[in-house]
Amino acid sequence: MGVSVPTEAAPESGSRSTLSAVVAPITGALRLLEVDTRLLGMLGALLIIWFGFNILSGGTFLSPRNLWNLSVQSASIAIMATGMVLIIVSRNIDLSVGSMLGFLGYTMAMIQAVFIPNDLGFGHEQPFIWIVTLVLGIALGALVGGLQGFVVAYGGVPSFIVTLGGLLVWRGLIFRYAQGQTIAPLESTFQMLGGGTVGTRVGALGEWPSWTVGLVMCLAIVYLQIASRRRRRRYGFPVRPMWAEGLVGAVSCGAVLGVVWVANSYPLPVNVALQYAEEHGITVPPEGLFIPTGVAFPVVIMLIVTLVVTFLATRRRFGRYVYAIGGNPDAAALAGINVRRTIMLSFALMGSLAAISAAVQTARLNAAVTNLGVQNELDVISAAVIGGTSFSGGIGTVPGAILGAVVMQSLRSGMVLLLVDSPTQDIVVGLVLVAAVGLDTFVRRGVR
Amino acid sequence: MFAAGVTLIVSACGGASTSAAGCTIGVSWNNYQEERWAKWDEPAIKKAITDAGGKYISNDAKSSAETQASNVDNLISQGAKVVIVLAQDGTAIKPAVAKAISGGVPVISYDRLIEDPKALYITFDNVLVGKLEAEAVFKAKPKGNYAIIKGNKADANADFLRSGMEQVIGAAVKAGDIKIVGETYTDNWDPAKAQTNMEQILTANKNAVDAVLSENDGMAGGVIAALTAQGLAGKVPVSGQDGDKAALNRVALGTQTVDVWKDARLLGKTAGEAATQLCGSADVSKVKNTAIFKTPGGNSVSSILLTPNPITQANLKEVLDAGWVTKADLCQGVAAGKVSACG
Repeated sequence: MGVSVPTEAAPESGSRSTLSAVVAPITGALRLLEVDTRLLGMLGALLIIWFGFNILSGGTFLSPRNLWNLSVQSASIAIMATGMVLIIVSRNIDLSVGSMLGFLGYTMAMIQAVFIPNDLGFGHEQPFIWIVTLVLGIALGALVGGLQGFVVAYGGVPSFIVTLGGLLVWRGLIFRYAQGQTIAPLESTFQMLGGGTVGTRVGALGEWPSWTVGLVMCLAIVYLQIASRRRRRRYGFPVRPMWAEGLVGAVSCGAVLGVVWVANSYPLPVNVALQYAEEHGITVPPEGLFIPTGVAFPVVIMLIVTLVVTFLATRRRFGRYVYAIGGNPDAAALAGINVRRTIMLSFALMGSLAAISAAVQTARLNAAVTNLGVQNELDVISAAVIGGTSFSGGIGTVPGAILGAVVMQSLRSGMVLLLVDSPTQDIVVGLVLVAAVGLDTFVRRGVR
Repeated sequence: MFAAGVTLIVSACGGASTSAAGCTIGVSWNNYQEERWAKWDEPAIKKAITDAGGKYISNDAKSSAETQASNVDNLISQGAKVVIVLAQDGTAIKPAVAKAISGGVPVISYDRLIEDPKALYITFDNVLVGKLEAEAVFKAKPKGNYAIIKGNKADANADFLRSGMEQVIGAAVKAGDIKIVGETYTDNWDPAKAQTNMEQILTANKNAVDAVLSENDGMAGGVIAALTAQGLAGKVPVSGQDGDKAALNRVALGTQTVDVWKDARLLGKTAGEAATQLCGSADVSKVKNTAIFKTPGGNSVSSILLTPNPITQANLKEVLDAGWVTKADLCQGVAAGKVSACG
């Protein structure tokens, strides 16, 4: 329909108007809501996947336990996908994130398991180890990513080539200085970052802190809405009608509280709960203990990263520049935007996000292994692209990428639940990737 | 029993050393970047050769099957009288190996099988590794629900290991004493994938998993992380192989039941000594301690299959005595008096 030649335009416009008479109220409402229709489409696809797997697995898929696992399993890819959106939006690519993650994860493992305890002689299990490790890791990540960004932006080498080189270099460096050995175990507080369990300490918020965080996030969403309305009024921009504003707020808040509710419906595993009861002198009732686990730390980290990167992307000059460069690099440069600096910063951000993901992954595995993060670049890019980020630049959202990561991980862990073997999983994920982007392109062309 | 086999090889090779004086032996590595070859295998091969008066040369194919084919030629043109090949691709290397053998240069396929009936195959017995893994776990849990975490589907070793496991648990599975509630290959032997797979198997079975057969140590680490999250680590027996430091530490801590250890130094030494014997006589079937091995490709090759050593809490001392790990690494976090090797 979108490729119709001019001569056919006149008769077709007639049929189009009858169609639009039916569709107009819906699209009109959506426009008032200012909700991305593609995001809605993806949510629909996710629900289909979830309910499909739930039926096939006999109700296991949508159990709180599986959803809790799913949230943790998605977190590390989702964290990196937020940064990948900005990279792709500015018409670049980062193929090195998997190797960078491996390199940074290995370095952080060495810092906490070898350098601080042995070389500096502080011993294992010091209270400051986890934070020192994390801060050093993130700083190194920004440096490594920034270095690649520098070569891309100031050296003028295409990002595809620079990061392809990075993919080989960082992986090679792991072998060089780690000699292929697994570094384990990691420090116990650091392990919490992965949502794991050490004795009776669980890497999750617990019941009441989870609700508190959920409520705070709700208030933040409402506050942002009010602030945005005020700002729009000041500049004479149109605002949503109150009902639309209320609906958007209620749905966003509901989603956040829903996540908290599911996480609190997942009790501590029996063995952990019994040990916990023993340590805290709780008598175990005959029907068993129900101690809510709460939102896992990797998910908390993911939520914070999402907020921060969304804020950077939509409310800060840096983010606006990234989108402007993606839309039209020449125009952006002529408008006085420091294109090179912005590109370099976006790669530095990607590097520090890779470090955060590296912390989550190594903490979760309680080990750093040499093939840590292998092929993660493919998952991260897929998540961003399934989430609606366009390779032609200028288009892409952070929440979309998060959703993309959840879609990918839902497919994978759902298939494992059904005992589908790994080659078949790859085939399905590959087909879904192409189908998602194909459908997206098709719909976009049709709408125009 | 294992020790007896080892001493036999060692003593048998002592007498052959004179024939290697001045003999050049070439080694074609497939990927020298992997730490194991540089750290354990190469020094052992080199020592065996130089002790016998021979000369060691080598090159690295950097994971390329094409490069390796020309590397074998290069070693021969540099004067190698015997070539040891750690194959990148056991099929792609066949023409180069056949050419070397027809030119009078015997070839040893090191660790990985090359389907050439005239090459000497030296490796640890991978089927036996799988068998030993299963035996230790089966001893701890002769009945119940089993999960099996296999390695990369494209790697023949994953299936060798699995067939060894079948020898142990096959009868019990048939009798219904053991139920396999989850069995999955793992891309690239990736521990993180093994962890996710194990989480899903536990979820699908509501934690009713009594034992886990993991084919190597890395994946065992992922499995144990998943078990820890459910408070099941140490309660569910788990197997592994490779002798990773981290895994041996887990054996000491009691979260991993067995780590089947293949001392790479023994493999290197055996290959080096076999090569020095081949300097004197190019007939691979005359090398001491060889037996005929039927390959999956239907060939009968002369082979030396070394016996791996299952390490459990009871014999942890062996890896300490061999200098494979330090006591500090082995015993990190182990409570005093719990494990005899840690004191």
